[in-house]
Order: sequence, then structure tokens, then C-alpha cells
Amino acid sequence: MSVAGKSTDGALLRVSGLGAGYGGMPVLHSVSLEVRPAEIVAVVGSNGAGKTTLLRALSRVIAATGQIEFKGRDLVPLTPDQAFAAGLVQVPEGRQLFDRMTVEDNLLMAADRRSDKAVALEDLRRMYALFPRLGERRRQLAGSMSGGEQQMCAMARALMARPILLAIDEMSLGLAPVVVEQLMEVLARIRDEGVTVLLVEQDVHLALSAADRGYVMETGRIVHEGAAKDLIDDPAVRKAYLGL
Amino acid sequence: MNSAIRIAIALLAVVVLAALPWFGSDVIVQFGISTLLLAVLAQGWNIIGGYTGYPSFGNSTFFGLGAYGVAVAMVQWNMPFWVGMVFGAAMAVCFAILLGLPVLRLKGHYFAIATLALAQVVAAIVSNIPLFGQNIGLVLPPLNNDAMFYELSLALLLMATLTVWWLTRSRFGFGLIAIRENEEGAAVMGVNTTLYKVMAFALSGLFSSLAGGIQAYWITFLDPASAFDISLNVKMIIMAVFGGPGTVLGPIVGAVVLSAVSEVLSSEVTNAAGLFFGIVVVAAVVLMPRGLADIVHHFRKSGWRYFVQNIRAHRI
Repeated sequence: MSVAGKSTDGALLRVSGLGAGYGGMPVLHSVSLEVRPAEIVAVVGSNGAGKTTLLRALSRVIAATGQIEFKGRDLVPLTPDQAFAAGLVQVPEGRQLFDRMTVEDNLLMAADRRSDKAVALEDLRRMYALFPRLGERRRQLAGSMSGGEQQMCAMARALMARPILLAIDEMSLGLAPVVVEQLMEVLARIRDEGVTVLLVEQDVHLALSAADRGYVMETGRIVHEGAAKDLIDDPAVRKAYLGL
Repeated sequence: MNSAIRIAIALLAVVVLAALPWFGSDVIVQFGISTLLLAVLAQGWNIIGGYTGYPSFGNSTFFGLGAYGVAVAMVQWNMPFWVGMVFGAAMAVCFAILLGLPVLRLKGHYFAIATLALAQVVAAIVSNIPLFGQNIGLVLPPLNNDAMFYELSLALLLMATLTVWWLTRSRFGFGLIAIRENEEGAAVMGVNTTLYKVMAFALSGLFSSLAGGIQAYWITFLDPASAFDISLNVKMIIMAVFGGPGTVLGPIVGAVVLSAVSEVLSSEVTNAAGLFFGIVVVAAVVLMPRGLADIVHHFRKSGWRYFVQNIRAHRI
């Protein structure tokens, strides 16, 4: 533990020995990873590797064992709303928008983390500047938009909460490449503004080319880790995930 | 319409309704009391069923507890009416919190079935407690003052409606709608879903129990079968859904329209009233599955095609 204590320096999120699952069925086995401030970290792996379970455990939607240290505080005993209040905000898989609420109401829903109304409206303007499409569709019901627009809405909703760590699950799933490219640019921009991003992706190449560092998951374990550009060149990763 | 005119119309409606006992006949006032109480029940159900999306069949249990609160306080303890109201409301709220914690983990049909069993269980328990008069029931001291019961019911409906109106503008209500739309989405967006759901259930129970308390004192007789009548719960759901669940005025309009329909039917076609009422409900479900409130929004745009669209959309 003394070693662990030392490495906390500089890490925003430090996960160690994390286990989680559904019912009696374990999915994650002693997962450890670190995210430092203002970096984009990618967690990649194939279908069923446990990536989504990892995010759900981090945002406290499902039970977990082990340690999740966020800003020096253990998240494991907390509830989802407390993790959210601490600044760990998730863009969940499948977006989980409030379909029959307008885009604007979806965004305002997340402004809950602060109580200042003027600041919330200012944030709303920032979101419409970041995603002009959402501004055009602010009065439309979220469920009636295209997949790409819904993903923008989900990301803007999470950003409205002014996250310290933004955890995004399968951002690119089912979206046109041109939309994915736009979203990636947004990610780079918010990282430059100081928001740390944890990106969980099935599209290994996409994720690793946008990220600073990466982790590769397989059957609930971390099997590789390192700088993103090294992982892309790693023969094992290339063979297993990029088909090269 | 700007908000000043809206508020003026609402105030005028309340004043006219409040003046009804002075110019209406006894029959009208009695119809008014039962309709107002049903509207309170529909509005109470609206909080948990309409806004939060949890179709509760437990609200008639809260109604029964409220009724018994008044009956026990007045008959067994010789306390004034208002003490009974407080006692009944406290029982209902405690019950809602204790039961809500486990039961609100269930969703959709499972939640409906779990709460459906409640009324039966509580009725069985009550019929074995001497304080509650067991199977025989309790007879309350009669009070021949329908005008007072009417005003009390109207005040309660006003309170329930203002609460629902506040829900539409408050963070709490926003959270409830988020839970209805997508519970996991609400959870990851920082809504304490358990707390919100239990509070909505308790609030819903509070209004149901107060309606039960007024009803008990008005009818002056109470036994387990009438206090925990599951068909009352079905009625409040039909009324709320008929008018438009998840809207401020929908449940009130639904309660008034359906009460009037059922009143006319039972005096015109006494024997077949139930049959005709059933036809009205089926027609409502087929033609306007989202309630009267939805018609108001869409009829202007699509006209009669609105009904055709609904029939098509549900492949009936």
C-alpha cells in the first residue's frame, strides 16, 4: 500500500484491485488503472471484455469491490449521485437520454451539480457553441433526433455538469465517420480546457489515435497498458485488434 | 395567453367552485364532494404514476390508512377530526417510506403487481386489530354539514394541484420526470433516484390518505372492505390516464368528466351503467391513449386525423 500511496501524486483517478459483476457473476477481475489530470485515456478491448462494466462500476451504478480513488477520495462507498457530485460524470452506453424531454431540458437536467441559474444558462450557450446542431434543435424532443445528434446531446448533457473527469462509453458506436470525427475534435478541445477524459471504445484505432495513454482489456483484465502511440505499434495489439 | 390571464381564470374557477354550496342543490354538492375526492386521488396518483412513471396500485391502501386514522382517532380516542387527519397522514407516509424502499426497486408490471398485493395484505391485517374495529368496522359521529366537507375537499384538491404545479417547475419534479424517461440516465446525471422515488411515493400517499380521512368522516362508516377497495385504485388510474398523466390539470378534468359520465349513466340506464362506462373507457384508450391533455395539444394541428393516427399507431 505504501507504493500505492506514492503513485497517487498527480493521479486524478486511481483504480486498484477493482472487481465488479452482475448477480453472482464476476466480470472485472482486479482491474487497476490510473488517469492523470487533463489527459485522454482510452480503454479498449473487444466485445464483452468488461469495458462498460468498468465504467458502470466507476460511476457507482453497480456494486464494486477494491479501490476507486478519485481526487484522493474513495468512491466505492458512494452512490451514483454522490460520484456525480464529486465530478465524475458519465456519458453512458446507449446515451440514455430523456427521450420525451427537449434537448434543452436534457441539458438543464445535468446543471443540477451547481445551483447558480445564471451559470447554467451561460453553460448552455457554451454547449450550443460547441455543438451548433444542438442549438438548432434545442426545442426538439431528444428521442426524435438522429443517432449522431443524440450522442452530441448526451455529451453536452454530461459537460453541462462541469465534470472533472468525463467518462464516455462507446462514443463512436453506430455513428457515421464524419460525425465521429467531429466528436473527436470536441474531445480534444475540452481536454485542452482542462477536462480529463476516460474514453472506452471498441474502435481500437480510433480511440488510441485520439488518446494520450491507453489500456487494453480482455475478459475483465487489463492486459496491456502504455502510451497510446506505443500501443498502436505494439505487434500483439495490432494483431489482435487492428487485424494488421 | 399570458400568465396573468391564466392566473385570473384559475382564481375565478376556484371562487365559483368554492361558492357552489350556496347555490347548488344537495345532490350537486354531494356529487361535488365525491368528485373532488376522486380528483384528489387521481392527482395524488399522478405524482407517482404520471410524473415518476411508477404505476402504483398501492394508493387505495394509503386512502384506507387515512380513513382509519380519522376513524380510530375520533371513535376510539375521542380526539378531534384534524388529529385523525394528521394521524392517518402520518401512518400513510410512514407506510409509503417503509414499503417504498424495497418495492420501488421493481419496475413496470412488477411494481404494479407488488403494490396490488398491498391493499389485500393491509386489509387482512386491519381486520384482525381490535383498535381498528376488526371486521365489524367503525361508526363515526355523524356531522350533517356537506358544505364543510365540500370546502375541505376543494381545499385539498387545490393543495394537491399546487403541489403538482410546483413539481413541473422544480428541480425535484424535473428529477422525477427524468426517472420516468430513463432511470439509469437520471442516476448517472446525479439524481438520487431512491430518495426521489420514495419521496414521490410518500407525497402521493399523503394526498390519498387525506382524501381518505375526509371520506371517512363524511360517510361516517368504515370497514376493511370499503377502506381498502382495489377498484378505487383502478378508478383513480383510469381518471388520471383519461385526462392525461404527467400533466397538471389532466387528472382533474379526467375525474370530473368520468364522474359526470358515470353519474348520468347510472341514473339513465341503471342496470347497464357499468357496460356503458366500460365502452367509454375502451373508446378513450383506443382514440386518445395519451389522454385529453394530448388532444388539446394535437387536435389543432391534425384535426380528426388525430384519432385515426392513434388507431393506426396501435394497430387496433
